[in-house]
Amino acid sequence: MHIVFGGAFNGKRKYVKEQLKHESSLWVESELPGMGESAVIAGLEQWIRKQLEQQRSEQDILALIRELAESSGERIWILTDISRGIVPVDPLEREWRDVTGRSYQYLFGKAQHITRIWYGIPQTIKGDGQDEYLHENRR
Amino acid sequence: MASGQLVFISGGVRSGKSAYAETLVRQAKGARNVYIASGIARDTEMAERIARHRKDRAQDGWWTIEQPQQLSEALPLIRQNDAVLWDCITTWLANELYEGFEQGSLCTDTPGCMELKWQELQNTIDSILAKTVYFAIVSNEVLDEPLVDQAYQEWLGKIHQWLASRADQAIEMENGLAIRRK
Repeated sequence: MHIVFGGAFNGKRKYVKEQLKHESSLWVESELPGMGESAVIAGLEQWIRKQLEQQRSEQDILALIRELAESSGERIWILTDISRGIVPVDPLEREWRDVTGRSYQYLFGKAQHITRIWYGIPQTIKGDGQDEYLHENRR
Repeated sequence: MASGQLVFISGGVRSGKSAYAETLVRQAKGARNVYIASGIARDTEMAERIARHRKDRAQDGWWTIEQPQQLSEALPLIRQNDAVLWDCITTWLANELYEGFEQGSLCTDTPGCMELKWQELQNTIDSILAKTVYFAIVSNEVLDEPLVDQAYQEWLGKIHQWLASRADQAIEMENGLAIRRK
């Protein structure tokens, strides 16, 4: 399980496409693949938003994500950071940020490898041996 | 081609990015230190702040060019071997994208308008680099939050990605700490 994380319009999809090269992979946008299916999952935050708009509870949303993440298959999750900025006035917008944030926390805990993309520049923040212990890099 | 170093510095509000960029430019030992400011005074507090910054920099030996839009107009004012700081992309982009507000026809709503400005900006950055010893460009982090203005944020991301790939150094500022990413 691999996560590619970063702000919007930072080049995350481009990075994943370059990594995959000619490897063909199922690519879903704002959708979840079937349980046990290998895929690149992009726009998870949009999928979460759709669920909230359809009155699905946070508990159910997290359960679906957990069930998928724990099923067999190799998946790359492209996660867009929406956690910063001013607290939105609209309650749905607030709930969206909250549920997205809690989903990401679960996925970050579960992933073996996490790459953060900053304007096209990748940085491993989890899963590259000692490099994830950033304080040790100073030694 | 380009003789000067291109440095891209981005960070949040009050992250110390401008102060850090100023230090870098001063260390470059250019013929002059030139500051291109893109802010527009929209109220008296802003006007006072801009005037104060301008005065502080003048005492510090900086040449200030006020260039809220069309960076190419600053080009003739930049001399051979200057060290240049441009602050910042986010205000420039807002000024360009929402140009024509008074006339009721925004650049952002006009097909091809921003594409043209972007092409011109790339050329201008290359021309500034060809003249100068050091060119630091400062910008802001506003893409880690729910989209407020898709066109604005998409352009900003595109420009930042181009700068990060074009730059000799790319730095993310985090509360006064400079994280060198390239």
